[in-house]
Amino acid sequence: MPVIDLWAKDGYLSTPDGNSIYFWGFSKSETGPAQLPGPHIVARQGETININLYNTLTEPVSISFSGQSGIMADGQPVQPQYTDGKLLSFFNHAEPGGMVSYTFTPSFPGTFIYESGTNPHKQVPMGLYGGMVVRPADYNPDAREFKTAYGAGTDTEYDREYLLITWEIDPDMHQAVEEGKPYQVSKFLPRYWTLNGRCAPDTMLMDGLDYLPHQPYGSMIMGQPGEKILMRYIGAGIENHPLHPHGTHTRVVAVDGRLLRNENVDLSFKRFTVLVGAGQTYDQIYQWDDLGYTTQNPIPTILPNLRNMGVGDAGWTMWSGSPYLGVKGDIPVGVVSYNEFGEYYFMLHSHEELQITNWGEFPGGMMTMVAIYPSLSPAVGILE
Amino acid sequence: MATITRVLQVSTGSLSLPGGNIPFWGFADALRVIPQLPGPIIEATAGDRILIFLMRNFFRPIGEPISILFPGQENVLVRKIPGGPFILEPVKPQYSSGKIISFTNFLDELQDLIIEYSFIARKAGIYLYESGTNPEKQIQMGLYGIIIIRPPGYNNPGHPNFKTAYGTDTNSFFDVEKILVLSEIDSVMHNDVLPNVYYDMLKFKPDNWVINGRSFPDTVNEDNNSSQPYGSQINCRVGQRVLLRIVNAGLQNHTLNLGGFVGLVVAEDSFPLKTSTLDATYEKTSLTLGSGQRMDIIITPNASGEYYLFDRGYHHLVNNDHFPGGMMTKINVSS
Repeated sequence: MPVIDLWAKDGYLSTPDGNSIYFWGFSKSETGPAQLPGPHIVARQGETININLYNTLTEPVSISFSGQSGIMADGQPVQPQYTDGKLLSFFNHAEPGGMVSYTFTPSFPGTFIYESGTNPHKQVPMGLYGGMVVRPADYNPDAREFKTAYGAGTDTEYDREYLLITWEIDPDMHQAVEEGKPYQVSKFLPRYWTLNGRCAPDTMLMDGLDYLPHQPYGSMIMGQPGEKILMRYIGAGIENHPLHPHGTHTRVVAVDGRLLRNENVDLSFKRFTVLVGAGQTYDQIYQWDDLGYTTQNPIPTILPNLRNMGVGDAGWTMWSGSPYLGVKGDIPVGVVSYNEFGEYYFMLHSHEELQITNWGEFPGGMMTMVAIYPSLSPAVGILE
Repeated sequence: MATITRVLQVSTGSLSLPGGNIPFWGFADALRVIPQLPGPIIEATAGDRILIFLMRNFFRPIGEPISILFPGQENVLVRKIPGGPFILEPVKPQYSSGKIISFTNFLDELQDLIIEYSFIARKAGIYLYESGTNPEKQIQMGLYGIIIIRPPGYNNPGHPNFKTAYGTDTNSFFDVEKILVLSEIDSVMHNDVLPNVYYDMLKFKPDNWVINGRSFPDTVNEDNNSSQPYGSQINCRVGQRVLLRIVNAGLQNHTLNLGGFVGLVVAEDSFPLKTSTLDATYEKTSLTLGSGQRMDIIITPNASGEYYLFDRGYHHLVNNDHFPGGMMTKINVSS
């Protein structure tokens, strides 16, 4: 039986404008850093998993596993917990310094949120959440037919997959918790909006950077033309966020970890914008195949006059050498090309545009890029 | 087909909330002393004619013109005594000096005695009725209620529509039914509103989140005779089909988490998702409802115990900033 340890602890997250914000998060180990979001849990349909929660915080912590049934805590079915007749937790919790052991068997594949079920008005906005992916029982990444989100024959095959978790930060409330001051949700006013715990442009950086020890997950979506890219969205915040990739659409194949299909009736639907609701999940298959691009039929690039390629100071340019999966052209001497491999970039962001700022400064916040490469290693876009 | 007649009044009253009592405006069955939140539940069977008389309140009028809108109902007719129209005619927006003053015909309690709205309850489902006059103010002050329209035969054992929300073959059969009307209350506004005086809704900042007019833990109390008569606790047994009829009567969106259960969405805005040609029902663990929207959901608990149903917008689970409270209730599942 797979055993996963989660340590609830505190830490400091970084924002691109230089802020450092106190938060609570889950860590993989006693000595590891608190993570935002918590470590991805990857489970398998029908395979019992054991999750041990160790609590190093100063108040009780529990975990709710939305969409799962038959959850046991220390051998008994999970139940709400009370103190002096007052509700304390939706589920069995670990006392400060203590632990609780959850066991359950995911009976459906899909994308799920796990999050605190104790003082959730505080603990979830403080960062105690993460994503859980349940592989279908017949999942086999080496066989195309069985590399699916929901099982063979469900039209959910994919080539690469990405998990994007939305959330928002009110830095004043985080500071109040850090300083032990009253936590007043009535004053909730977010100033940062995150994808996988990072604000843009950090969202576009790689996973596991040394200088973002608490925010290990990047959000850059990378793929090739025509590939099926599985995008899993989770709304971990308390607000709703309308996400869309510019100029294209996705096909929503499942919500809340349930396939949109009744027997033979396909209920999946295409959307330009998906409203990522609080506590909800959306699985989408995305394909970029615009303009008939193939490697044999690159999109023609008409180079502008060289004089128009430089903008501002020497070395600056708004011109990348090729905007559009075309043949790379010449760029002025000393100018840096931003798409070394001829890849095509476009934005994926919250269309609630205040949210693509860091404390009001554009660009930032809930924004990342989709990058379509003429050719890309199969090692990119694997969720573990 | 029967005629369902209800005589309603609009009255000032008092709501009991965790922070204390606040004034509100509510619908009341005529001659009942106190108004209620939500308003009296009106129940009919598809095909019935519903007649609603809204009567002048001599004792505790709110002091503003009043009216009722019936979203989702078609061909609503109206007549009014003594102001007219005297013969039934379709409702229509009301203007004064070219400016809209009401979405529908209204009762001016200074001169009118009674206004009558009537319509045929054509489609099964769950509907709101609410104020159509100064609605930005009057609905927040409490002027909303619920209409349930049953499919014919729903209370007749042996009839294929027996205990269904939308009739046979709509996957809406239920053992237990619970109506959950979501809203939020701004206690400052309730204390400050004056009749016929402009209230700046930009100041709207709710501080109470309610199901059926009550905040947790009051939500888990029984039904009673107070101004907040409807409890929200759900009691059922393992394996029963529990129909949750969720209505968002508020001005904000709310996301109801189904307490760890996975619910089957069988209807949205009273349109069943399963028809003879297509089964478009789908499953969810949480549902976001916009203002005025309704969803009918079936959950089938498979294990006994206690479960909490709550607003996943967690900042709504507080009373006076303290958890637990607000928009939350309990499901008790016995074996």
